[in-house]
Formats: sequence, C-alpha cells, structure tokens
Amino acid sequence: MKHENEKKNLWICDKCHKELVSEKTKVRYLDGNFEVALLKCPECNLVFISEDLALGKMLEVEKGLEDK
Amino acid sequence: MMLLNKQSKIESLCPICLKKIDASIFTEGETSYMMKTCPEHGTFKTVLWRGGIPMGKWVRHKERAYLEKTVTKVDKGCPYDCGLCNEHRQHTCTALIEVTQNCNLQCPFCFADSFAKKGQEPSLNDIRFQYQSVLRVSGTCNIQLSGGEPTVRNDLPEIIKMGVDLGFTFIQVNTNGIRMADDENYVISLKKAGLSSVFLQFDGTHDKIYRKLRGKALFEKKFKAIENCKKYGIGVVLVPTLVPGVNIDNIGEIIKFGIKHVPTVRGVHFQPVSYFGRMPKMPQDKDRITLPEVMTEISKQTDNMILVESMKPPGCENALCSFHGNYIIEENGLMQVTKRSSCCCATEKAEEGANKAKAFVARNWSYYNHNNKDKQQEDCSDWDKILKTIQKSSFSISAMAFQDAWNVNLERIKDCCIHVVTHDGRLIPFCMYNLTNAEGRSLYRN
Repeated sequence: MKHENEKKNLWICDKCHKELVSEKTKVRYLDGNFEVALLKCPECNLVFISEDLALGKMLEVEKGLEDK
Repeated sequence: MMLLNKQSKIESLCPICLKKIDASIFTEGETSYMMKTCPEHGTFKTVLWRGGIPMGKWVRHKERAYLEKTVTKVDKGCPYDCGLCNEHRQHTCTALIEVTQNCNLQCPFCFADSFAKKGQEPSLNDIRFQYQSVLRVSGTCNIQLSGGEPTVRNDLPEIIKMGVDLGFTFIQVNTNGIRMADDENYVISLKKAGLSSVFLQFDGTHDKIYRKLRGKALFEKKFKAIENCKKYGIGVVLVPTLVPGVNIDNIGEIIKFGIKHVPTVRGVHFQPVSYFGRMPKMPQDKDRITLPEVMTEISKQTDNMILVESMKPPGCENALCSFHGNYIIEENGLMQVTKRSSCCCATEKAEEGANKAKAFVARNWSYYNHNNKDKQQEDCSDWDKILKTIQKSSFSISAMAFQDAWNVNLERIKDCCIHVVTHDGRLIPFCMYNLTNAEGRSLYRN
C-alpha cells in the first residue's frame, strides 16, 4: 500500500490501485467480537492497520484483556 | 491405588510435630490424596483434589525464577529457612503487612487467630521498616494490608499514604468491612490516602452464613461497605471463605451479586477453607472443598453462564494453588476472556508470570473511574469505546487454595508469590506463615 498524501490520510491499495475507505470492520480478539472503523480496500477488502494504531490503541486494548 | 507420575513423591510436614516427612500423592477414581507417615505420630491421608478435572491435567509448566536478593541462608532446608532463601523459586507478587492483631469480630474461623482484645500494634516506624524490607527484596510489588482487622487502626490512612509515598502503586486493605460501612469519613480518608482496592470478607448473600462463620449478622454491613466504596471510588473484591455445609450452595448467588455491583465490585476471589490458625475442630475430608469442586459449583450454580473451561491454572504461583477466569460483562451475559485450552504444554518463565499477575491485579482489582471517562465519551474513537468497555465491565473469578499442616506440599511453598512481611524484615510464603500444627503451634507467626 502506498501512502500518497499524509494530510488527507489517503492510502491506495497496491494491488487494486483503489483508494482505501474507512469502514466498520469486525475484529476478533480472544472470544470477543468488536466492530471498529478501519481503512479497507473496496475491491479486495484488504484491511490496513497503521503502525500508530497497532502500537497505540490496538495494543492498549490487547493489554486491557491480557491475562495473568 | 495409582501413582500419578514421578512428581507424586513430594515432601510435606507432620501435622503434629511439623517435622519434614516424605509424602506421596495418589489418585483413586476422580480423587487425589496426599498420604504421609511420621515415624513418631503415624499416617495421615488427606484429600487434595476432587471432581471433574484430573489433578494431573491441571498443569502450567514454569521455568523457576531466581531471586536477586535473598534475606536468609539455606541452613535446615525448606521450609525452616524462610525469609526468602535462594531455594525459593518465585518473586513476590503481593507482599502482605499485618498492621494489627486486633479485630472487631471474633470468628470461629480465623487464620490469623485474632481477637477483640487490644494488643500492642506495630508503630508507624515498624511499618515503614516493613515496607522498606519489601522494596529491598521485591521492589514495588502489590501490597495488601492485613491483620487482624486493619480498620481498627485510626492511622490506617497514614499507613496507606506511607506506602504510596515509598512508591507502591497498588495498596489493598483486607477487611471485614464493618468500619467501612459505619464510618463514611474513614472511607474518604482511606481513598484520599491512595487506597486502590478493598479485599472484602464476603461469605455469602444472607445472614445465616454470617451467623455461622462470623458469629453475627453482617450482610447489611457488607452491602453498606460496598455502597461507600462506590460512593468514593474504591474497587472491591468479594472474598468468600468456602466452608462445606455452610455456604457452598451460595457460590452462584455470590457471583451474581458481584456482577450486579460491577464496576465497584471487580471480582470474586474464593478461599476454600483451610485448617490453620483458629478452627473449630480437626479437619476431615468432608470438611474440605477442593479447587475442581469449586469450579464445578461455579458452573452449575450460574446455570453454565460461567463455564469450567473458562478457568485456568495460574502463571505466577504453583498450578495447584489457584484458578482464575476473566470476563467482560455484557448486556446479554458474559464474554469469556480466558480459556483453559490456551494453556499449552510450553514452558513459561515464572518471573514473567509474576510480572503479569502483578499488572493484572493492579489493573483489574482497582476502581474504574467511570465518571471522568464518561465525560469524554462524545469524542471517543471505536477503540476508545472498546477500552472503556474492557475497563468498566471486566470481572474476574478466582480461587486460591491455601495449604495447612495436613495437605502442605513443599513444592508449592517454593513457588509461592504471596509473602508475609515479618517485623524483622523477612518475607515468609503466606501458607508457611499461617500454618499451625494440630495444637495451634506455628513455625513462623509470632
């Protein structure tokens, strides 16, 4: 995926050359189903998770559910 | 009679003279027992594990931890050199400081053998020394202030603040809740001092249980104590002592009561009765309830809302010491966060288990400050909303089986992560500290 424009947060799918759109996506972690807005290719449905998200809020959620 | 495996040969103590003796663990049908013979006092057979999940399958392999700083030297061997010594295999997850031996109840069961009479209490300087001893050996682990009944001390807020100022971030008080019910200003001062959590003695949802176990009707007091914690923002863990013939049939109601009071109530932590300190009589197998039986009752009495499969052995202490399950309370029931099948045969580092357990307790047993978070809800992202749900609606169910002179297994003692701080700065594994022989003589307490 190519990051075309930082300001508009515009991402293009490398395979389909389509602009990613924000869409409610089902996320499953452990036994929980959550629905979150994620960037997605309208053609191939590939979901893009930025490094900021993976190391930010997503990690926070994972830690919140962390077991002992 | 069938031996479980090579590990079934262990070391224990004679319940009469407390000398170290060999013991074996064997299984008959669905029940596992410990059998041991003291050359002087005879043979003792005690139930360890009864019910659905075989004891041999309740495992979590750990690579032992090595303590950087030990307090005592190995001389007579485990369990006579506790302090901790370099034979100990796990770090401190929770350090327990007894701030008084006085109590405002006189329960027929009491592992601390406390009384209503007024005895001398440790000074603030003594307690500072105990905190510092913990810091030296175990760093800023979680702290539980216990007793006796800690709330009989008017200076408990100062004791909490002292711990906070020394760098401890999670301080919990183990209490019967009577003063917290009766004295709202006291609750305010505990909160202001930095109290994170209350470990509330909560044996059931009706007074017949309290009259039997605590000598008087206390349910209203428990309820009021929880209300006051809610009002001033202190997390509560309900702690029932489970005694056969008294409150086993109330397990489901206790859990339902806890869920109803989320997020103030953060979980239920069951303690199957163990026989040390003050007890009404010598224990027989019918007087015990073992961990798999507790799990089965939880499932049965919640109509399978909580499944046995959602409860796991611990990653911190010895697998045979406890179980736990984590849940998120949802509108239509519970989401199970933990699964026993996720415990694989891989070996984990005990040190990592201790770190995770410390973080889990501090995060999940503290109060969730919903008022502040709710104000921000409008500009929350989806991820923030999930985080809020996790923090607000998480609920834990756990149990810890303490060991007494009849069922003590020294392997489990070496893996212990709950350590009582003595007045001279030693750290004693909880069960070893409280263990007494048949006549009430202790190895370490007093």
